[in-house]
Amino acid sequence: MKAISGQLMKLALTLSFFLTGLTCNATDIVAEADSVVGLSEFEVTALRRPLATVQSLSGEKLQSLSSTSIADALKYFAGVQIKDYGGLGGLKTLNVRSLGSQHVGVYIDGIRITNAQNGTVDLGKYSLSTLESVSLYNANKLDNNQSPSEYASGSTVYLRTRRPQRDSLTLLAGWASFHTYRGRASWEFARKGWSGFVDAEYINSKGDYPFRYKSEYEDTVGRRKNSDIEFLRAEAAVFKEGFSSHAYFYTSERGCPGGIVRRLSDKYTNIGREWDTDLFVQASWEKTFSSIHSLKFNGKYAHEYLRYNTDYPENQNTAKVDNHYYQDDAYMSASYAVNPLKWLGVNVGYDARTSWLTADLKHFSPVRRFDQKAVAAVQINYRNARLAASALYQYYKDYTDLKTGAADPLSRFTPSVTLGYNLYGVSLRAWYKCIFRAPTLNDLYYTQVGNRNLKPEYTRQWNLGAEYQYARGAWMASAQADVYLNYIDNRIVCLPLRGTYTWSMMNYGKTFCRGLNATLSGQFSPNDWNFSLLTSITWQRDVNRTDPQDEATYDMPICYSPTFSCGVTGIVSWKKYSLTISNLYVGERMWSYADPDDILKPYHNVDVKLTGTFKWFTASLEVNDLFDVQYEHIPRYPMPGRNFKLTLSYSL
Amino acid sequence: MKINIRKYILSFSVAVLMPFVSAVAEERILLLNEGLWQTDNGRLTYFEDGRIVSNQWFRDVNGMKLGDTPNDIIQVNDDLVAIALNWSNIVQFIDRDGKAVAATEDVPNNRRLATDGEYLYVTSYGHECGTVSGTKTFTKGFVAKIDLKSFKTVDAVEVGYEPEGIALYKGHLFVANTGGYAFQENHEYEKTVTVLDASTLARVRDIDTNQINLYGKLSQSGQYLIVGSQGDDYEIQPTTVILDCEAALSGKSDEECFEVLEYAATNTCTATDGRFYAVGSRFSFITGDYTFNYLSIDPGEVIATDGKRGVYEEMPGTVISDLKTMTMPYGIYVNPYTGYIYATDAGSFATAGTLWQWTPEGKFVDKYRVYINPAHFLALKPGSGNINPIGAEKKDDHIYDLHGNRVKVPESGELYIRGGKKFILTNRE
Repeated sequence: MKAISGQLMKLALTLSFFLTGLTCNATDIVAEADSVVGLSEFEVTALRRPLATVQSLSGEKLQSLSSTSIADALKYFAGVQIKDYGGLGGLKTLNVRSLGSQHVGVYIDGIRITNAQNGTVDLGKYSLSTLESVSLYNANKLDNNQSPSEYASGSTVYLRTRRPQRDSLTLLAGWASFHTYRGRASWEFARKGWSGFVDAEYINSKGDYPFRYKSEYEDTVGRRKNSDIEFLRAEAAVFKEGFSSHAYFYTSERGCPGGIVRRLSDKYTNIGREWDTDLFVQASWEKTFSSIHSLKFNGKYAHEYLRYNTDYPENQNTAKVDNHYYQDDAYMSASYAVNPLKWLGVNVGYDARTSWLTADLKHFSPVRRFDQKAVAAVQINYRNARLAASALYQYYKDYTDLKTGAADPLSRFTPSVTLGYNLYGVSLRAWYKCIFRAPTLNDLYYTQVGNRNLKPEYTRQWNLGAEYQYARGAWMASAQADVYLNYIDNRIVCLPLRGTYTWSMMNYGKTFCRGLNATLSGQFSPNDWNFSLLTSITWQRDVNRTDPQDEATYDMPICYSPTFSCGVTGIVSWKKYSLTISNLYVGERMWSYADPDDILKPYHNVDVKLTGTFKWFTASLEVNDLFDVQYEHIPRYPMPGRNFKLTLSYSL
Repeated sequence: MKINIRKYILSFSVAVLMPFVSAVAEERILLLNEGLWQTDNGRLTYFEDGRIVSNQWFRDVNGMKLGDTPNDIIQVNDDLVAIALNWSNIVQFIDRDGKAVAATEDVPNNRRLATDGEYLYVTSYGHECGTVSGTKTFTKGFVAKIDLKSFKTVDAVEVGYEPEGIALYKGHLFVANTGGYAFQENHEYEKTVTVLDASTLARVRDIDTNQINLYGKLSQSGQYLIVGSQGDDYEIQPTTVILDCEAALSGKSDEECFEVLEYAATNTCTATDGRFYAVGSRFSFITGDYTFNYLSIDPGEVIATDGKRGVYEEMPGTVISDLKTMTMPYGIYVNPYTGYIYATDAGSFATAGTLWQWTPEGKFVDKYRVYINPAHFLALKPGSGNINPIGAEKKDDHIYDLHGNRVKVPESGELYIRGGKKFILTNRE
């Protein structure tokens, strides 16, 4: 960081501006400059970065949002739809440009968080407090040295862990509505080129939030039951130059409440409870040689334990199960990048992952999946024009003693191409990406529904975009807009088999989506003041193209997909005090084709956060859902209404 | 089942012979749409004489929602209908006008219903039941007995694991046990039909059919019942069991009480000639193959010939060929009063299903858009307990629509009111 000259600093600043699409402050610069290893790479970086369609939140902006998990930060990005079952413990998944949550790869410091069992990442398990930035890339990130796995999803979310700049100790206590208590301790160090932290957080929440359903046919008032969660998260990380390492531990117990349905009393709750223990350790090492060669190695081991129990007297409605699932996952990758000529960068890489899944389900035997990927990518810069192209090869093979047998090995090539052009300071970009998601182990082997004959679910994305930045004096502004088309084929869904009572996973369905994502942001920072405005809009028409004969569904919108949504965030800060007000609007979504009344109503969600620091103390007060709007992402799974959060922290 | 010749001729004449006929309602069908699980959108369709009167009849009448995942509907007596709402844990009673009369949550995880007019018998996969003498708990599933005067649960008795179909024959309840949670719980699939004395709920016997997972509705034709064994979706294929209740009550050995047919009976009903209609498919997760069958079964012939004869791959008219065009056949039914044939197509997931109608001869009449997963039928008696359209208050000779608006130019095939009665306008002649 210190080695970077003033000129580079200026470049970095511009770059970070490019990268974030938002605004820029001191922490942003640190973050970006840190990732710059050598001059030549930096040049490539400078040429490359505007190519990708990216949105990012970092540093103080990230911390000034009202947020408990990374889902809260991501929901402000254009093209993003969060699916949330409500409450702190409710599953939170991310859907980008309507491709489906299993097409989103979530990466911590470049290494993917995987779940071989169901292919989705519960964003509620990851905290913002240890992160420096959260970035969303549609298609590829387009760094010059990436591992193959980073090319293997429809969109990618990069979580970048904060690299401490000095020694510090932070203690935090929080109180929030619905009997929620939080404590966190964090110790950071930075010396002799080494830096790192230990961070632990504990939350206990009863989650008994009130809800109300009011319509022509009902007026249901109640409190959410069995919506409690208790978790402990502990993380540690160590960094030195190109080396980074991270250990993560998460353990929780939570209630899994069902949908709110007609009942005569609260006698039966269909109680189900879930215990999770997630653990991973990962390390990454990157080195640049002779300023043109770059080598990177990643390694990760993850263990996940999940217990799900429904054996309670309050549950009379389902089978009494007490199932335990264990997943182990070992991953390694090696990648190499070379910039033999000033205008040319080449990246090749290989990675391998083995996943084991065992469970005490009936009719189930352990399954092992061996998944290998290789990539070759090239980036070319000629004057104002740029090109990035990659070809990814993936090979999956499963091993199991299940009676149904293992699925046939899956082996596929998929391409992506990006073109960019700089015209009078406006970056123009066009890209195409084809990628699939392999059927998960649940899709293939889960007792009673798994189907070993599933084909991969393919997506094809086309995108045209433009981006512009402005910075003068105390003013900064940036705007970007992308229009896109995407197609999904062979969707993997669970449907009843014709003429039976049996449900099974099947490849059924095609979708076609047209959309526009745009962000506009500005900042004015005179003296000690800072005024920021961040906006994003998403318009999309996501339609069913499965069966031209079926008038009820063909060319009809996909369920749960809003046509329009937008977010506005305003931040005013003065010295160490700041006020953030944000509003997220999500339009109407249908949830069935059967009745025009089967819709989720549009909603506005206004959050306010006030933060102030005095000496070693920081206090923040949040009011979420200020107007107590009752809304839902899944029918009959109410979201909490207005709630308050008070946090006090002490830092040395 | 007797064919009501008079009504049959009348409906025929309404439809074909006479251009203007006033008629009471002939075809009155209540159809339960299961909706989507945990979405609280179970709905009741009311169909009358070629018209969907409402796809949310319970809501229209009562101003409230029916509940989650209805699983059975049954006529208790002339003025009472019972509905089992599985995921809502409610047994709902409505009168002939659809008005909610009573509801109980004594029987959680309720499945299917049978009645003798005084009591309602309910099967349940649950393990506890609130009765007048306190909460009873069971290791396996149970049958509850609800008094239809007080709507209180007077008794409950354990049967096998996850009992589903239930039928009443000569004071005895025949309960098909599924053991359907066997793929998750630590017990095996059930193979038995439990026979209970309806008055005391005392267990008379268990008939071991040697067929697993006896799931679905028990259709009844005189002394015979049909029940589908669903197999386990792995090695064991679905079969069809024809049970002779008379043999079971006369103390014959288990083997003499039933015949097993190598077909699937996923959806069944009883036709007016006493045959069963059975639609189903056989599937295996191991091979991934499945085969369909569309059958009419003469149960007397099956029993008399030890299963060698009595199964016919035929149904009236175009019923089978029409069924084959369905996306997802979901229910089949014959109106016992008129012989009209009905089936439902659940379509693709989260779409409105359709109700298909055929004449007793199997001539396709029409299909009607209903709601999600239309599955369970109940025919109401023709004529009696009519839904009174507003227009019926107009007793003069002018033609009105169902809302009581005067119609100057009536259209063929539409339903109107004249002289206080409904009629379908036909202009064939």
